[in-house]
Amino acid sequence: MRPVFVIAGDLLREAAARRWFLGLFAGITLVVLVFGFALRMDVVDGALAATRLFGRPMHTDIRTAESVMSSVFLALAYLVFYGGLAFGVVACADFAPELLAPGRIEHLLSLPVRRWQLLLGTYLGVLGLAVVGSLYGSGAFTLLLSVKSGVWTARPIVAGLLAAATFGAVYAAMLAAAVFVRSAALSAAVGAVIVIFGIIAGEREDLAPLFEEGVSRAAFLAATAPAPRISQLASHAADFAASRPVALAVMLKALVGLGMFAGGCVVVGMWKFERKDF
Amino acid sequence: MPVIEAAALRKCYGRDLALHGLDLAVERGAAFGLIGLNGAGKTTFIKLLLSVVRPTSGTVRVLGGSPEEPAVRARIGYLPERLHLPDALKPAQFLSSVARLKGLDAEPSSLSRALERVGLIGDAHRRIGGFSKGMRQRLGLAAALLGSPDLLVLDEPTDGVDPLGRAAIRAILTEERARGATLFLNSHLLSETERVCDRIGILAGGKLLREGTLAELCGEANAWIARFAEPVPEDALLRIGWTRGLSPGTFRCHAADADALSVLLDRARAGGARLVELRPDARTLEEVLSDVVGDA
Repeated sequence: MRPVFVIAGDLLREAAARRWFLGLFAGITLVVLVFGFALRMDVVDGALAATRLFGRPMHTDIRTAESVMSSVFLALAYLVFYGGLAFGVVACADFAPELLAPGRIEHLLSLPVRRWQLLLGTYLGVLGLAVVGSLYGSGAFTLLLSVKSGVWTARPIVAGLLAAATFGAVYAAMLAAAVFVRSAALSAAVGAVIVIFGIIAGEREDLAPLFEEGVSRAAFLAATAPAPRISQLASHAADFAASRPVALAVMLKALVGLGMFAGGCVVVGMWKFERKDF
Repeated sequence: MPVIEAAALRKCYGRDLALHGLDLAVERGAAFGLIGLNGAGKTTFIKLLLSVVRPTSGTVRVLGGSPEEPAVRARIGYLPERLHLPDALKPAQFLSSVARLKGLDAEPSSLSRALERVGLIGDAHRRIGGFSKGMRQRLGLAAALLGSPDLLVLDEPTDGVDPLGRAAIRAILTEERARGATLFLNSHLLSETERVCDRIGILAGGKLLREGTLAELCGEANAWIARFAEPVPEDALLRIGWTRGLSPGTFRCHAADADALSVLLDRARAGGARLVELRPDARTLEEVLSDVVGDA
């Protein structure tokens, strides 16, 4: 398994030197620093008495800090979830096509590495990147808001990890697509389609009645069946971050489905990669 | 035991036949050069040696095993024709990655030595993205040399490298051969192939049309061409065994060894001839390639 981790580590090292990721981390750091200096929350006896942003008071009713932060963490979780997915689809689209570039893939395949290790290493590298990105993004904002409000929770960070796991499934499809056709644009397009399809699939039970009963509804349900339930997972992540009740069994079912989708895509990618001439 | 053995090797890409039943054996310690026109199948053959592509039929064995086996590939150093390097990395980072994937220790001192050997130590602080084609090629060679491989497969190793860099690469390849490594070279630069390789194969249309030593391919090893200063004592030269050469003022002779050649030259000088130039009467590799491909 050592080559898998070497490849994953190299991908992380390569990503660290890319403008996309430098920009992401610089952007998160900048926003956190600006809010760190500009946001002031006065909490008295567990209630948010006053909030100032850039020195201007924000007129809100006096509510418990926990209920206010619950709404903030809900919004943060949605932002990290969908923002992270959109960023990941665009920024990670060319990792696999770069790996498969003529002159690079021949060199990699000539090394004592098995093909599946090469692909799995790339996948795990991108997954690691998503975990690091979500931990940094959600962790930095959670820390800032916790310090300011006095409401300490790690739930938004866990919600961020759920977003990273969801991106893992989206990237599995992007990786498999890149193995079939080496194109960053196609890889990004597949990622975007999976996200949109996943949003629809998450609401399939509610949307199904919009289709006429019979063939069209069955076709809709069949078409959305294998897709990861992205919108459902986003809601679970947001609810969890906001300390709202979460239907654990439903979330676990969605996570298992996510894992199966990711695993299936990676296996298809490996199957093609093993048979492909470069 | 041969380091490379190919038997009835065929490779088709869809309907296109890239290799057409190729048989080849390269012995341990040899420096083998594969030459041919574009599309002859040279790169396909190299890719088959590394299992980058799989044969349609036939067999290929490298270092006594299948190139599919990572343990076999661990003993091969490969430089692709157009090496695509990660622009964001520095040369030592790239070499470190290759070393770890080869299962070697990626100690900074050994990586620095590898960079120094190919003349890149002064550029170790730069990112690969700013490297010229020649520098990239030299970095690729450094990666191929990591771990002192038993077989070096080099596809156009001096492509884009300046003349001094070429000489340096030739020196490295000579050192590698002295160490006992086998070289398999694919180059469009026939003069490079002539200088480095002791056996040469000519590939055309996916078939190995000719294979042998340079002397076997390029002509008689014991024929010589001499040019004498005017006036040339033509009759005297013809009487003692010289024949007229193709270009004016040149004469041809056969000498089995250096002693026989010296005797012929002494006789020519005794007959009044003054030697200006002496060279082996062999065809260039370019002429041989042209003939072989033309016949095919």
